[in-house]
Amino acid sequence: MSRELDDTRRAMRLLRWYPIAWRERYGDEFVDHLGQEFADRPVDHRRSFNVAHKGLIARLGDYGLSNANATLGGQTRAALGTSIAVSALMVVIMLDFWSRAMLAWSQRRYHPIPVSATTGILTVAMGLLVAVLTLVILTVAVLVVRQVLLGRARRLIGPSVLALISGGLLLYVARDFPRLLISYIRFQGMPLSHPGQIMANLAQITWELTQQWVAPWNQGTPSMSIAQHVLNDSVPLAMFVLGVAVALLIRRVELPRACERLIVSIVALLGLFTGMFFVAYIAWSVFGGPSDFEYFFPESRWLGVTYLILLALVPLLVIRSGLLARRVQPRRQRNHIEIVSSMNESA
Amino acid sequence: MTNSDNALVGLGRNAGAAVLILSSLAGGDKHGYALVKDVEEFAGVHLPPGTLYQVLPRLEGRGLIVALESDERRRPYRLTAQGALVLAEYITAQQRILKTGQARLKRSWSFA
Repeated sequence: MSRELDDTRRAMRLLRWYPIAWRERYGDEFVDHLGQEFADRPVDHRRSFNVAHKGLIARLGDYGLSNANATLGGQTRAALGTSIAVSALMVVIMLDFWSRAMLAWSQRRYHPIPVSATTGILTVAMGLLVAVLTLVILTVAVLVVRQVLLGRARRLIGPSVLALISGGLLLYVARDFPRLLISYIRFQGMPLSHPGQIMANLAQITWELTQQWVAPWNQGTPSMSIAQHVLNDSVPLAMFVLGVAVALLIRRVELPRACERLIVSIVALLGLFTGMFFVAYIAWSVFGGPSDFEYFFPESRWLGVTYLILLALVPLLVIRSGLLARRVQPRRQRNHIEIVSSMNESA
Repeated sequence: MTNSDNALVGLGRNAGAAVLILSSLAGGDKHGYALVKDVEEFAGVHLPPGTLYQVLPRLEGRGLIVALESDERRRPYRLTAQGALVLAEYITAQQRILKTGQARLKRSWSFA
């Protein structure tokens, strides 16, 4: 009896390697299975390693980063959730990098074609990425409100509160954006015949805001209060919390079929735009975008390099999750069609 | 590409374990431990618990097997019609490869 109890405890300890959703579905039978394995071979380090290894893969699957997710729908939703969370975390840094690149471009007297082309690609990638993220967040918000109105919002409360708090904080710290935009329009006008000038003005405003967010502790005007400093420094964290909250909502909200079908395409777009941005930024640097380190994150070169590494990781993570989701989703549909047709033929 | 290729390619490195599990369930419903013992008996391969429970959810997700209701902690699994079809196609494809390989070995290398 005591040995059985010990075996169950050992099995429960090994079960902790797996994510909660997996444990809820397979936990009982897995513990029972391990109990029988322990009776056969009480000590087996390879078995323990195998369980830990597969448990970690299952955890990655929970985030859409391995194809070990328990359900196919879960795999695609997890892929979109992770893509949104990492893209949201990086979008502030990308906005800052874009604004610096745009300002560096606008301040040059001579514009070589590669620099202009890569600056253009950075602008397009940035704009499209922000558009897709906004669209996804708005769609999720509408679906959550619809589900709340239908009275089925129990599992959505936690992430909704997180999203509201982080979203509110972001709106508060970005409150200067419209004011700055209006003052630029008032003093410099909106010369539609010079779109480059409009973009440069937009980049100036973006830089004025984002440089306070991405370079902690050393930016801002001397008159800025400590509370404002703390708020500015917590923007990347707030973006990440918002991303995680939206990721949780994507997993839990009832998605219409049309939205389910679009998931893989949205992840592909996010991967494309984040990848385009990173490649264009590197190309921009190589082709002589920044004349010296003045333009590459003068606040802290190490922080700049860290951000650059993170920028490289984002498209890798998004593209990996998208490929895994794509590998899983369409094949199932094609299989079903093929199997039904082959059954009809054989009949 | 056949149905079996489509269904098993997505399993990556676990395609081999998936075939063993499907073959075992073709003989009747089994829970995890009985499945491992059966595979050991007919294939001489021990499926570690982590690998087994990595593949079972994927096969279930693809509709190739189904978990049956059970009052006990151990839950039996059953091969579905789709799973049987996929396994049959896979075995047919493997038999074709086997026959070709054997014929070529016999012709070129005089292996019986």
